[in-house]
Amino acid sequence: MSASTSLPEPGRAAIRNHTKHGRRFSSWQTWLLVAILVIGGLGMLYPFAWLILSAFKTSNDIVRIPPRLLPEPWTLEAFQAVLTHQIGGARLTRAYVNSIVVTVLTVAAVLFTSTLGGYAFARLKFPGREFLFYFVLSTTMVPFLTLLIPLYVIMDRLQLLNTLAGLIVPAIFSSFGIFLCRQFVYGIPVELYDAAKIDGAGDFTIYSHIIVGLMKPVISVLAIFTFRATFNAYLWPLVVIADARNYTLPLALRGMSNTFGAHEYSKLMASSALTLIPPLIVFFIFQRNLVRGIALTGIKG
Amino acid sequence: MADTAHATDGCVTLYRLPARLARSWLSRYSWLGMGYAFALTVFYLLMFVVPFGTAIWLSFHNWDYIQTPVFVGARNFAKLVDDPGFWGALWVTVRFSVVEIIVAISLALLLALALSHLRPVLQYILLAVYNLPVIMPGVVSVFLWRWLYRPNGGAINTILESLGLPSQPFLHSGDQALWSITAMVVWIFLGNSSIVLLAAINEVPDSLLEAAQLDGANAWQRFRSVTMPLIQPALAYQVVTSIIGTMQLFEPFQLMPGPGHSTRTLSLYTYQLGFEVLNLGYGAAVSIAMFIVLLSATLFELQRRRKSWEY
Repeated sequence: MSASTSLPEPGRAAIRNHTKHGRRFSSWQTWLLVAILVIGGLGMLYPFAWLILSAFKTSNDIVRIPPRLLPEPWTLEAFQAVLTHQIGGARLTRAYVNSIVVTVLTVAAVLFTSTLGGYAFARLKFPGREFLFYFVLSTTMVPFLTLLIPLYVIMDRLQLLNTLAGLIVPAIFSSFGIFLCRQFVYGIPVELYDAAKIDGAGDFTIYSHIIVGLMKPVISVLAIFTFRATFNAYLWPLVVIADARNYTLPLALRGMSNTFGAHEYSKLMASSALTLIPPLIVFFIFQRNLVRGIALTGIKG
Repeated sequence: MADTAHATDGCVTLYRLPARLARSWLSRYSWLGMGYAFALTVFYLLMFVVPFGTAIWLSFHNWDYIQTPVFVGARNFAKLVDDPGFWGALWVTVRFSVVEIIVAISLALLLALALSHLRPVLQYILLAVYNLPVIMPGVVSVFLWRWLYRPNGGAINTILESLGLPSQPFLHSGDQALWSITAMVVWIFLGNSSIVLLAAINEVPDSLLEAAQLDGANAWQRFRSVTMPLIQPALAYQVVTSIIGTMQLFEPFQLMPGPGHSTRTLSLYTYQLGFEVLNLGYGAAVSIAMFIVLLSATLFELQRRRKSWEY
């Protein structure tokens, strides 16, 4: 299908023209701008430096007054300690596995239901289509806190309290994802769908062979957002999970902060640093596609 | 196949008519679409309609999770009107949301405008740096900033002292705690808020800006009259998602609270009523009030924006 190369016209033009504003700037103005942005960027990174470097400090070094950014001496003892430390009979590695399982399954589910939903709402005919779509969209107006207590009761009835499934099931469909994908599918020429239909392809074949392939930009945007929301989730896991063996990373970190005193802060920073590894990997893989993806998805109106 | 057979023999027995009508009605629809709609409906019934209905129902009852709920009419809402805890939480929420949104979106707009002047490679690298904090779990940000904000030996006070400024109590002060949290939240979401704005600014047509320049418009006028109107939809999107996001933010207020109730927001208050005090009926009433506040804020903002961009 040559279609995959002919897709993103408006967005692509925007990316080609990235430098348009720049042409009116003389070079010293550009350099000044870069300098200001770099200084601001260092300001953004400064707290990170504390997080990472504090993880390599000894328990005496971390409470030194006045504090020093660089460890003296460097040590891995905080990392060793948190990897063997147990919170309520479970290790940090257990929370690591739990977090990754929950996140991978949730992201997979959301990507499937959202791309299929975007396709269904934009191209397929079924009774109540418009009503259902605007209903789904309107659910984002209701604060999660309003649903929290009743959802807790429902999870209790479904026997999903204190299980990882209890974290995944309520997140299978995403209103935001369905909205994002529907907007995107509207941008895919209808002729493509009609042509495949005439060739005798079924609705699902068209979805799996044509539509999904064209949705790559929006898929990467949605994947990052869903990854972040799931991996970082705190409130819902806090309510659902009671047993430390089913803790996800944010809960395990909270458990640690409750047991560690100030001179053990290097341990908290070490476990925080370990927690950041999966998001950092995902971030560096997908960040490049993020601006481009958002330009193509049409969020910006 | 069966359909065509019937059509040709010309005599449809009457009892088969409903089934045939149903079939021709169904044939206009996609099976995949209907299957999806069915799954979606079941999910949203269970995960949205029932919980939302239950929350409304619960707000007219008293319940401690153990005994049967007791109907109390509108008493929970009457209690809410007289509850200083509720009004205090609402006031904290509104101050936090308004200040966070104004500061974060102004900075994000400046950042996006500055980035739009650079080459794509530089845009990506710098945006990645500014966007880094948002990938951190909220819990990690909270632990990190709690450490930086320490009155004695915290990194921020050390900087202040080295500049000859007095050190500050930050989270230990009822006046400063909320703004300390706000600063952290701005740090977290700044880069993220600028992505959508940058994407919109990048799409402002070159020709319009050049035309304005030829007409003698300076940089500020070009921004006011060309860029700003064209990015209104993106700005509106960003403001609305920020309203929804800030109103519901939870981690900082639970894990780095200021003294007393100085940083207790509606979301934290609802959580406490439901899961700590086990006053579920009243908690539901507060959460319904929160829903009404969020809905009015969003509708108000959309209405205001719509006027300004139609103009």
